Amino acid sequence: MSDIIRRDPRTEWIARNRLHPLYESVINANAGEVRGPTGLLRKNPHKVGFIGPNGIKRIDRLKGNGQGAGAVGRGKSSANEPVLALHQIEAPDFYIMVAPDLVGGRLTSHDKDVLGLAHKLCRTYEADERDQGRSSQGAVVAVCFGEMKEESLDLAGVDRLIHLQNDVFEGFAPEARLEAVAQIEQMYQPKHWLFPDSIHGGADLGSRLSARLGERPAVQAWQVDTQNTVCRGASSSIDITRATPRILLLLEECGDAIDETRHEAKALDVDAVEVSAVNIVDHGLMDVDPNAIPLAEAEFILSAGNGIHNWEQFHDAAKALGATEGASRVAVDDGFMPRFRQVGATGTWVTARVYVAVGISGAIQHMQGIGQCDKVVAINTDSGCDMVKRAALSVIGDSEEILEELVKIVNAHKGQVSPEGETLEKGSEHAA
Amino acid sequence: MQPNVISLVSIGRHPQSGRARRSEQDGRALELGLKLSGSHLQVAHAGAYDSTFSGSAEETVLRQYAGMGLKQMTVLKQSSDADVIPSLSHYLESQSAQVVLLGVRAESGESSGMVPYLLAESLGWPIVSRVADIVSIENGEAEVLLALPRGQRRSVTVTLPFIATVDNAAPEPRQTAYGPGQRAQFNAVDTPEVLDELRINWVEAPAKPRPKRLKVIKAKTAAERFKAATAKAQGGSGKVMKNESAQEKAQAIFDLLIEEKVIR
Amino acid sequence: MIFDWLPSVLIAIVLMLAVVGAVRRISLWRAGQPSPVNIISGLMAMPKRYLHDLHHVVERDKYMSRTHVATGGGFVLAMFLVLCVHLFGVDSKLLAWALLASLVMMFTGAIFVFKRRRNPPSRLSKGPWMRLPKSLMTFAVTFFVLTLPAAGILPDGTGNVLLTLVLSALILVSLGEMLFGMTWGGPMKHAFAGALHLAFHRRQERFGGGRSTGLKPADLGVEVHGVSKPTDFKWNQLLGFDACVQCGRCEAMCPAFAAGQPLNPKKLIQDMVVGLAGGTDANYAGSHYPDPQGKGREPGSAKGSPTEVITAGLVDAETLWSCTTCRACVEECPMMIEHVDAIVDMRRFLTMEKGETPNKGAEVLDNIIATDNPNGYAPGSRTNWAADQNLNVMRDVKKAEVLFWVSDGAFDMRSQRILRSFVKLLKAANVDVAILGDEERDSGDVARRLGDDATFQNLAKRNLQTLSQYEFKTIVTTDPHAFHCLRNEYGDFGSDALDNVEVLHHTTYLNRLVQDGKLKLDTFKGGTVTYHDPCYLGRYNGEYEAPRELLRSMGIEVAEMERSGFRSRCCGGGGGAPITDIPGEKRIADMRVEDAKETQADLIAVGCQQCTAMLEGVVEPRPEIRDIAEILVDQLIEEVH
Ligand SMILES: Cc1cc2nc3c(=O)[nH]c(=O)nc-3n(C[C@H](O)[C@H](O)[C@H](O)COP(=O)(O)OP(=O)(O)OC[C@H]3O[C@@H](n4cnc5c(N)ncnc54)[C@H](O)[C@@H]3O)c2cc1C
Ligand code: SF4
Ligand code: SF4
Ligand code: SF4
Repeated sequence: MSDIIRRDPRTEWIARNRLHPLYESVINANAGEVRGPTGLLRKNPHKVGFIGPNGIKRIDRLKGNGQGAGAVGRGKSSANEPVLALHQIEAPDFYIMVAPDLVGGRLTSHDKDVLGLAHKLCRTYEADERDQGRSSQGAVVAVCFGEMKEESLDLAGVDRLIHLQNDVFEGFAPEARLEAVAQIEQMYQPKHWLFPDSIHGGADLGSRLSARLGERPAVQAWQVDTQNTVCRGASSSIDITRATPRILLLLEECGDAIDETRHEAKALDVDAVEVSAVNIVDHGLMDVDPNAIPLAEAEFILSAGNGIHNWEQFHDAAKALGATEGASRVAVDDGFMPRFRQVGATGTWVTARVYVAVGISGAIQHMQGIGQCDKVVAINTDSGCDMVKRAALSVIGDSEEILEELVKIVNAHKGQVSPEGETLEKGSEHAA
Repeated sequence: MQPNVISLVSIGRHPQSGRARRSEQDGRALELGLKLSGSHLQVAHAGAYDSTFSGSAEETVLRQYAGMGLKQMTVLKQSSDADVIPSLSHYLESQSAQVVLLGVRAESGESSGMVPYLLAESLGWPIVSRVADIVSIENGEAEVLLALPRGQRRSVTVTLPFIATVDNAAPEPRQTAYGPGQRAQFNAVDTPEVLDELRINWVEAPAKPRPKRLKVIKAKTAAERFKAATAKAQGGSGKVMKNESAQEKAQAIFDLLIEEKVIR
Repeated sequence: MIFDWLPSVLIAIVLMLAVVGAVRRISLWRAGQPSPVNIISGLMAMPKRYLHDLHHVVERDKYMSRTHVATGGGFVLAMFLVLCVHLFGVDSKLLAWALLASLVMMFTGAIFVFKRRRNPPSRLSKGPWMRLPKSLMTFAVTFFVLTLPAAGILPDGTGNVLLTLVLSALILVSLGEMLFGMTWGGPMKHAFAGALHLAFHRRQERFGGGRSTGLKPADLGVEVHGVSKPTDFKWNQLLGFDACVQCGRCEAMCPAFAAGQPLNPKKLIQDMVVGLAGGTDANYAGSHYPDPQGKGREPGSAKGSPTEVITAGLVDAETLWSCTTCRACVEECPMMIEHVDAIVDMRRFLTMEKGETPNKGAEVLDNIIATDNPNGYAPGSRTNWAADQNLNVMRDVKKAEVLFWVSDGAFDMRSQRILRSFVKLLKAANVDVAILGDEERDSGDVARRLGDDATFQNLAKRNLQTLSQYEFKTIVTTDPHAFHCLRNEYGDFGSDALDNVEVLHHTTYLNRLVQDGKLKLDTFKGGTVTYHDPCYLGRYNGEYEAPRELLRSMGIEVAEMERSGFRSRCCGGGGGAPITDIPGEKRIADMRVEDAKETQADLIAVGCQQCTAMLEGVVEPRPEIRDIAEILVDQLIEEVH
């Protein structure tokens, strides 16, 4: 690989012109790996979009239309990306603590919203001080436990980082984590503690800390400034407006994620945390077979109707996709699927994020059961059926044929997945 | 030995009608309690119990809980603006409870979900939240399954006595039967009453709809603004593929599955 | 002759034993709950009820009705005369000849019974019932021979000891069946219990062509709600069970049985008999409950007694939940037994005491309680469908000619098409109409059939309270289930809200408008049309004609299904059956669409949103399904004013 980075105006020009005949090949040719700051080859999730003529990054909105998106320019480094302004804090006068969920070691979008909100609060406090003629600077501190895979803490707004990586904090360790945050509280006396009000641990840890400190938190908060906080209450049917407390458990989209600045993500020290008696012992995650997940909780359902004629293939497809199986009543009535798989008015009301309906016409009683599904995919021979009207994506054709192709693609994809679980770029699929 | 299990129940709120009802999670807490200790289960509710109780919506709801098979139920007398923690923790301590089950969040009022944590703190007991099931209780320890999103489960052990909040993933509460519910007895108990001072200053209003956040593009040029304005909104009517080859169709589905991160 | 006295003594002994049996049987019935009836007038009315009401039903099977008149009439007469001639020794040639004649009549009848029994249809019970024709013939022949001397045909004292002994043995055999068996549980029990059932029927209104279909309110706040054990039934319900002749007509009509769901109304009634008398179903010789899932309940394993919980060993709960409450069995039963009452009574126990409503039952009931509609929609969205309909709401107008009872179809997109069509027709006819809007609540139909009478009564009272605030002459509804509740069941709650109010189904009302010339209709040109009678309109309310007349007014010649009118087959949508959804071998709705396909129909006209939903739930290809209001709207000739 050449280290000399040259701009290629022609390819850049082609990349900017979506109608250019070579556009696709140019885009895809460079959708490759990027050398990360540590020197490892990485896929950089931030490298979506391309650099426009005036050097400003643009996001390709047509992504998802089947065309690959990636960084343009032959250079494999981010040399052409504009460097975002670095938000530097020498000696913070106050702290706002954020304890992100870090699901799978990465910041969730919920975490990023909370970090964004933390900065908004910081700026307001700083401005208030300025109005008083004082100068004061706050730092947003991410309090992180356990494994960390996130590489762009700096871009998410982390000024300071407390990363506790001791064994006692690994996995599910609410008591140890509570001791740690309680100690951090003592050492730094932060202005606020912000937690994502989530099922990933944020709500739990925030509630524990509140109870420990005897402070009344704002829970399910969604509109926050330094004075007042609006919280949802009574199963989200009311808004409670109250003075902003020190501890906040925040809903998603409570703030805007940071996107225009870089931050230092400088480590902050904590004294060794003493974890006394542990009453809760984690025995790890249970192995859950996708097909054993209760239908109502499943996230991804492959559902079979009267239009399935090859049942063996259907079951294989579900296994290959890692999907939970569902069925229409007809498939159940005809004895191909057990009753507890039935989706619909007289079956289960499912909440899957993705629901693939294979050979299901979409009778009203079936539709009732999938009302809460986010993305419905229909595979059906009849383009006029109601399921097609409901679906985000419909493919018209024989279920057997399409499932067969789908299984092939999925198996090929699995073969490409590297041991770390990172996906290789799939640009080649478009090259043909 | 039968563990001493207490389920705490509150007045729920139907999401559509706003009417009082048996709360989803508290019902599950009661169900789990029945599973653990059958007819020995104690059930308590902290709330109003005065001359207006008979025939009130509260009574109806409490009788719905009782209709799951309770002979009696304890009502810790509290006014509606009281802080229930002192009363509840006093009661739990006096009953030498070993397992206390409640819902994650109340369906009415502040719904903060803090009650179990405050009880745990005031009693000095461990708390596990979002329990899907309690598998066994042996040798002063309970084996508990915690509910994680999308059907995942975590197994933990916790020492007795402890507090557990029960997740929606726990087994559904059994049907409530009218007859037993009507015949159940309420034992009203006087407990210390502390006014909830903080709440008095709060302002409550019907929830405002929160606009769904659009994928914001910070447009820096006119062309970008134009593009953002004309970009096809997510949702709307779906895409239909008819004449493409089966391979292309399958590919489109696959891409969507990848984009939705259900295949990794 | 030394043995001359023997026949009379035998008759006397058997008669005494029969009386003992009768007393014992009566005490079994009386173990049930009190239910006031007028004993004297009931007994007096009995013969007429037999000849008129019972025969009205038996008459549907001409063969059987004639046979029964000959056999039954002959026997009753013969028995009376036997007592006169042979027991009390009335010496009259005339009586003896009359006896001979009645015995001949009975014998002739018995021959036809015998013929029917040679190749009995599967609905008939076998076992002891197979020997009945022989017993009948034996009786006739024996007493014929025995009476010959008295009639002067043979000289007195004819025959030797042997003949007397043989005759005596035959007397024992035949009277054992006919008298002893009558009160000790043999096939002839039906005559004894049947006759008394006619006298003491719980729904006296049914006699003389009346109709009584509304369920009776459950007592609330009692020790046990509903029927848990046989003695919780009213005493005359128990008596009714005993009247069953095991003719299996109910079985032949029952849609759940035909679909292979674990219900057979005949067996159910027989199980009730087992329960009230104690014992097992080992002697039952008819078809059992279908067993689609191969749970393998052995015949003879059902055990019960008057004081044991019925669902704990006698009848499976699934049997009770399979019923669609379509009343086809009741309509068909010659003994006027009330299956639906019994089934709902037992469901009340399962729901209100045990909390064991299967499948979606609990959820639906919770929804009804918390939102006044079975699907848990926001009560405030009940009138959303009518946003563009410009309809008066009672709260504003207080008064209207017609109150349109919208029912829960308001929440369902498919049903809304029916509602809109109906509103359009009303507007075309310039009817002064208003709706209750968000003040309307579920009629309680589903809650009641699912056994939750507490919730039904609560809804009924609140609905009546709302209705009493407004003034109207007529209520019209497109939902036969709500129609039935309003018309036949709301009367039990002491409200005057519906006094002098006519409750009508939309087809009846529309038919009036058409006949009055208020609606002008074009001729329908859409192929063959058949009509599905909703049970809650037809059997429950007797309205078979208005929908047909409406169709005719559009020039439609209805291609009738074999099962139509009072014999219409339910679509499977009643009684909460789609909610409890007990598995069978087939779907009732599929069978109904098959019925329709046999008529080559392109369109099934219905008069019920629930029927529409059920029949449209059948996979295509199938005839199109539309409510009559929808068909009418398309043929409406709108006048330009
Ligand atoms: C009271 C009631 C409750 C009900 N409850 C439920 C319920 O809970 N759940 C439920 O699912 N249903 C329920 N139903 C039944 C419902 O109405 C429909 O009958 C049922 O959903 C239809 O199932 P289906 O779509 O699999 O079959 P169909 O309607 O027969 O549809 C089959 C589809 O497959 C397509 N097809 C055929 N061959 C192929 C092929 N080779 N490749 C691809 N596509 C093909 C056809 O175009 C068609 O769209 C209920 C009905 C009633 C009346
Ligand atoms: S219940 Fe009625 S219809 Fe059914 S078998 Fe008995 S007598 Fe016949
Ligand atoms: S009411 Fe209908 S479904 Fe029920 S038993 Fe009678 S015939 Fe069968
Ligand atoms: S839905 Fe129709 S056919 Fe079925 S029970 Fe009701 S009225 Fe009868």
